[in-house]
Amino acid sequence: MTDTAIVLPRARSELGEILYHLVRDPLGLAGLIIVVAIVGSALLAPWIAPYDPVAMNIPDRLQGPNAAHLLGTDQIGRDTFSRVIWGGRVALKVALPTIAGAIVFGLLLGMIAGYGPKWLDSLIVLLFDTLRSFPTVMFALAVVALVGPSLNTVIFVIMVTSIPTYGRVVRTLTQSIKQSEFITAELSLGATVPRIMGIHILPNVLGPLAVLAAMDIPTVVGLEAGLSFLGMGVKPPTPSWGVLLSDGYALIRNTPWLIIAGGIPLILTTLGFTFLGEALRDVVDPKLRGKGGK
Amino acid sequence: MLTYILRRLGLAALITILAVTLLFLIIHMIPGDPVSTMLGPKASPELRAALEARMGLDKPLPVQIGLFFANMLRGDLGMDVFTNRPVTTIVLGQIPYTLVLILSSILWSAVLGIALGCYSAVNRNSLGDRLAGVLSVSVIAVPAFVVSLYSLLIFAVKLQWFPAIGAGEPGAWGDQFHHLILPSLAIGLSWVGYIARLVRASMLEVMGEGHVRTARAFGLPERWITYRYALRLAILPTVTVIGVGMGFLLSAAVFTEIVFSRPGLGKLVIDSITTRNYPVVMGSVLFSTLIFVASTTLADIINAILDPRIRAGK
Repeated sequence: MTDTAIVLPRARSELGEILYHLVRDPLGLAGLIIVVAIVGSALLAPWIAPYDPVAMNIPDRLQGPNAAHLLGTDQIGRDTFSRVIWGGRVALKVALPTIAGAIVFGLLLGMIAGYGPKWLDSLIVLLFDTLRSFPTVMFALAVVALVGPSLNTVIFVIMVTSIPTYGRVVRTLTQSIKQSEFITAELSLGATVPRIMGIHILPNVLGPLAVLAAMDIPTVVGLEAGLSFLGMGVKPPTPSWGVLLSDGYALIRNTPWLIIAGGIPLILTTLGFTFLGEALRDVVDPKLRGKGGK
Repeated sequence: MLTYILRRLGLAALITILAVTLLFLIIHMIPGDPVSTMLGPKASPELRAALEARMGLDKPLPVQIGLFFANMLRGDLGMDVFTNRPVTTIVLGQIPYTLVLILSSILWSAVLGIALGCYSAVNRNSLGDRLAGVLSVSVIAVPAFVVSLYSLLIFAVKLQWFPAIGAGEPGAWGDQFHHLILPSLAIGLSWVGYIARLVRASMLEVMGEGHVRTARAFGLPERWITYRYALRLAILPTVTVIGVGMGFLLSAAVFTEIVFSRPGLGKLVIDSITTRNYPVVMGSVLFSTLIFVASTTLADIINAILDPRIRAGK
């Protein structure tokens, strides 16, 4: 009689499970690598960037890529590569609080709308529809026209116009979870509403929200860069990707390198987070496959 | 049907009223006031008071909102600070440029996107389908102004195939069309990918439904089923998305108009902000909001006409 060893698949934690599926999807893996590279270089900017991003060096102005300046220099000799790396910090500084704020308000309003009485639901949905009825950039410009361009203005405007995106998803999910049998059972056992919200509904909406947030980051980063490009966001000499593109636009007939260098991180950010978000969505909820958000 | 349309129009009116009120309130809540913005910090108190009175800013807030609505209904959005022309006239003069740009982008991206999505759905999981999928996802979220700048750099500055500036000579159709190509390309690019993926997903969904199976059981040719039945229903989400996407298109148009120095709503807003021409900024934002609300409403109504399920499923 020999012992037959039964090899059970090793149990993974939930996060480990998600990561495992992510890296098996080629696009998901590519997305993860790009995102880690962008976020990593933004966090480590003071150590990675070869030059001070705002230090002028007039003799070396308007150079093309070379050994000393990997992406060339701008009109006052600042190193473009260093500015691109530091620009990642500005992008994250806008994207993170904006999305965090939109998620918090979206969760709150969405759960109230999904769980609360019908009239409150209608009222909140109407509020969402109203907030969504402004073209974001136009709304941002209206506010900037009054308070002047600043990082906080950009964060405020994008956050306010993003709340409905998160709120609507939370509302729909809350409504469907509310009707499931285990909630009815919990209620009959005397569970309180805060308990149901906190223990049953919240964990179930976080997954889809994470996917939505990953897909939303490029939009927010793009908006920040866009407003800064128009001179209505981050002010020079702060190295934002949009400011870089704006400098490049002014010098488009002198050098193509500023525009090329300013656009690439935006395209990479977009690709990285979109691939990651798509892969994450397939892992978190296979049912949502192919229903991307714009 | 009529009830649905009337109800949808009522909702649109309500949203418009709320949006305008909200815009008004936000403007009043945030620090900074239009008078200082327009006159600068060194203006004399008399001058400030005179401008405040002219703009109705000296009255209580509810009265201001009421007046604003009353004037809006008469088409009066105030006067341009510099030229003293009505804001409505100025904004209406720029809207056609922006609409032509947006509509041409929608048109070419919808034609290409629907064709691509149709191909992907029919040849599901083929190499072409996968390639189209990766390409679509890649172009979807690239910001329109980056595409604008790159296409300006490549096709206008380096290759000089297309003009870099302006909208062309008024009346010269060929010239205007030539000026429209690059901006329209830049705005539409991300929509090709988006529409292709949407059409693919909804076609695959429709192809699995009962009425398509019945049609197949009746022996109708596959081609007929694909284009006559599946595509018709699969286009529905596209209509909605274009309607809702109007906000994104309007935003993208702002950047593209600046990059290509084209006249239009976006250029008007930016120029007015730079010159602190406050009433024109507000007028343009208001009109773009109206266009957005109108297009989402229209998309919903078209959807209801095309799809009996929406009307019945109320």
